[in-house]
Amino acid sequence: MSLFTRTNRELSIRIDEFFDTIEIGVLIFKEGIKAYVNGDDSAFQNHLAKIDDLEGKADKLQRSIENDMIVHSILPQQRSELIKLLWQLDEIIDTSKQSLNEFYIEMPHIPSSMSHEFISLAEVSGNAAEELIPAARAFFREPHLVREKLIKVYFFERETDKAAFQMKKKVFHELNDLSLAEKAHIRYITHHIESISDSAQAAADMLASMAIRQML
Amino acid sequence: MIFLFLTSGLFLGWTLGANDAANVFGSAVGSRMVSFTRAAVTASVFVILGAVLQGSGAAGTLGRLGSVNAMGGAFTVALAAGLTVYAMTRAGLPVSTTQAIVGAIIGWNFFTGNAVDTGALTQIVTTWVTGPVLGALFAFGLYHLVKISRRRIKVHLLKYENWLRMGLMVVGAFGAYSLGANNIANVMGVFVPSIPLESADFGIFTLTGAQQLFFLGAIAISAGVLTYSRKVMETVGSNLLELSSEAAFVVVLSQALVLFIFSSSALSGFMVRIGLPPIPLVPVSSTQVVVGSVLGIGLYKGIRNVNLKLLGSIASGWITTPVAAGILSFLLLFFVRNLFGIDVGHAVSPLSAGGAGANTSTIIRYSIPVLLLIIAVYLVYLVLSEKKKTERLNKKYYE
Repeated sequence: MSLFTRTNRELSIRIDEFFDTIEIGVLIFKEGIKAYVNGDDSAFQNHLAKIDDLEGKADKLQRSIENDMIVHSILPQQRSELIKLLWQLDEIIDTSKQSLNEFYIEMPHIPSSMSHEFISLAEVSGNAAEELIPAARAFFREPHLVREKLIKVYFFERETDKAAFQMKKKVFHELNDLSLAEKAHIRYITHHIESISDSAQAAADMLASMAIRQML
Repeated sequence: MIFLFLTSGLFLGWTLGANDAANVFGSAVGSRMVSFTRAAVTASVFVILGAVLQGSGAAGTLGRLGSVNAMGGAFTVALAAGLTVYAMTRAGLPVSTTQAIVGAIIGWNFFTGNAVDTGALTQIVTTWVTGPVLGALFAFGLYHLVKISRRRIKVHLLKYENWLRMGLMVVGAFGAYSLGANNIANVMGVFVPSIPLESADFGIFTLTGAQQLFFLGAIAISAGVLTYSRKVMETVGSNLLELSSEAAFVVVLSQALVLFIFSSSALSGFMVRIGLPPIPLVPVSSTQVVVGSVLGIGLYKGIRNVNLKLLGSIASGWITTPVAAGILSFLLLFFVRNLFGIDVGHAVSPLSAGGAGANTSTIIRYSIPVLLLIIAVYLVYLVLSEKKKTERLNKKYYE
């Protein structure tokens, strides 16, 4: 039994660490987009390196948590759902890293009239992911609070959708001086930033049903 | 010869161990919260303790229903009960060892012309109904308590799971103790009047004749647990009762409490001392109490979760099992007496005592330490093999 106590304690620390990593990753992503849009290249490079490290750390933590849960038969009934949830959370930091990498590789041209929109899209999409973390933490201690914490996730996801829609509309309807290739590129980048909040929503849906089952 | 007669009781004990241990540890093992080895070892040890320390109460009530006064009769009654349980299990019908043995004893009463003690019968039948009902009530209350506590203490899910894991072991041990105390009467109760053994003094403790029989019966139950319950436990845990760890904990605790209540002479005496009617000490079907407890949890979650089919299966078992066992017992007694010329008992029952009892006492007295040694060696083997398995699994597959 002492083995279980020790393993469980270590595992709960690692799960918290995993959540911290995701949360910091999202913050770095937001800062990275801001730096790119503002043309601060050294800050952007710095954020890119940081998010790369964090993504690697999250992957490692995710694998070790999964492994220990299976080997030590921890939470046998919720295990498969929890593993899926961790995978979905990891998807957030993966997408964040991928987005920053795409900015680095493809160097999209952001018109100055769209700078503000891009920063606020990254902000609101990141907020959806950020608000997911307290809900995920609550699942482990106070599952009855999960649903109310998830309300913010759903709110920010809707706001992201609206913002992305407006941006795409503006690019194709108003910015006539951009070429079609530039328009398509911006649409693609917008879609990528938007997908962070989509991942957060998918994780929120899973978390909501898991919390309900915990409460029954 | 006595050991030959005891085989039917031991067979009954083996089937009880193989099937009913699943009621205690099934949910925990099936959900992989507790390993089978750990569950089987705990169940075996505590079944023996419960049977030897507290088994006499329920056995006394069965004795009042029908004091089977010949070894041939006891053998046949136990055999009839065992065959009924086996046949009904094979046919997929709900069955309980408790109800089978009661039916078989009534069959013996009819065959030998003994009157059925209606007082004892009423007491037993009433308990069949109150057992599952009490199980449901306990489960409802305890589940509510567990849920409220979980919400209040705000403990981390992993820590909570750890507590549940330990809780399942503790209530499982209590459940196994209660199972031994309550259900040993089914296995060895019929042999107590016909095999009067002398008390055996082992220096640090003394076992009465009945306790020696209970010990043998409990060994048979343990053998059933260790050799054949794995499959049943895994089936119960994963297929029939899809319970959460919390619900499994509550179900086992409710079942253990009900079985304990109906087998504790001390508790019954306490009730009398405070001016309340005594608790009848009657063997109760652990399976039906478990089903009652699961229904209690279903009731807590909402009436729509209550499976009425389960209620129907409990009620049908109250009638079909004793009737089938009674008829089979009557027919077997007829054949055993008329075909083999073996005495199966008589209407007026003078207790036989003397040489045979003394010889058996000596044999049993020497066989108990040998059996204990075998069990100890087997347990050490199980623990070591479990440790080896854990070490193998603990290897780090990642860095």
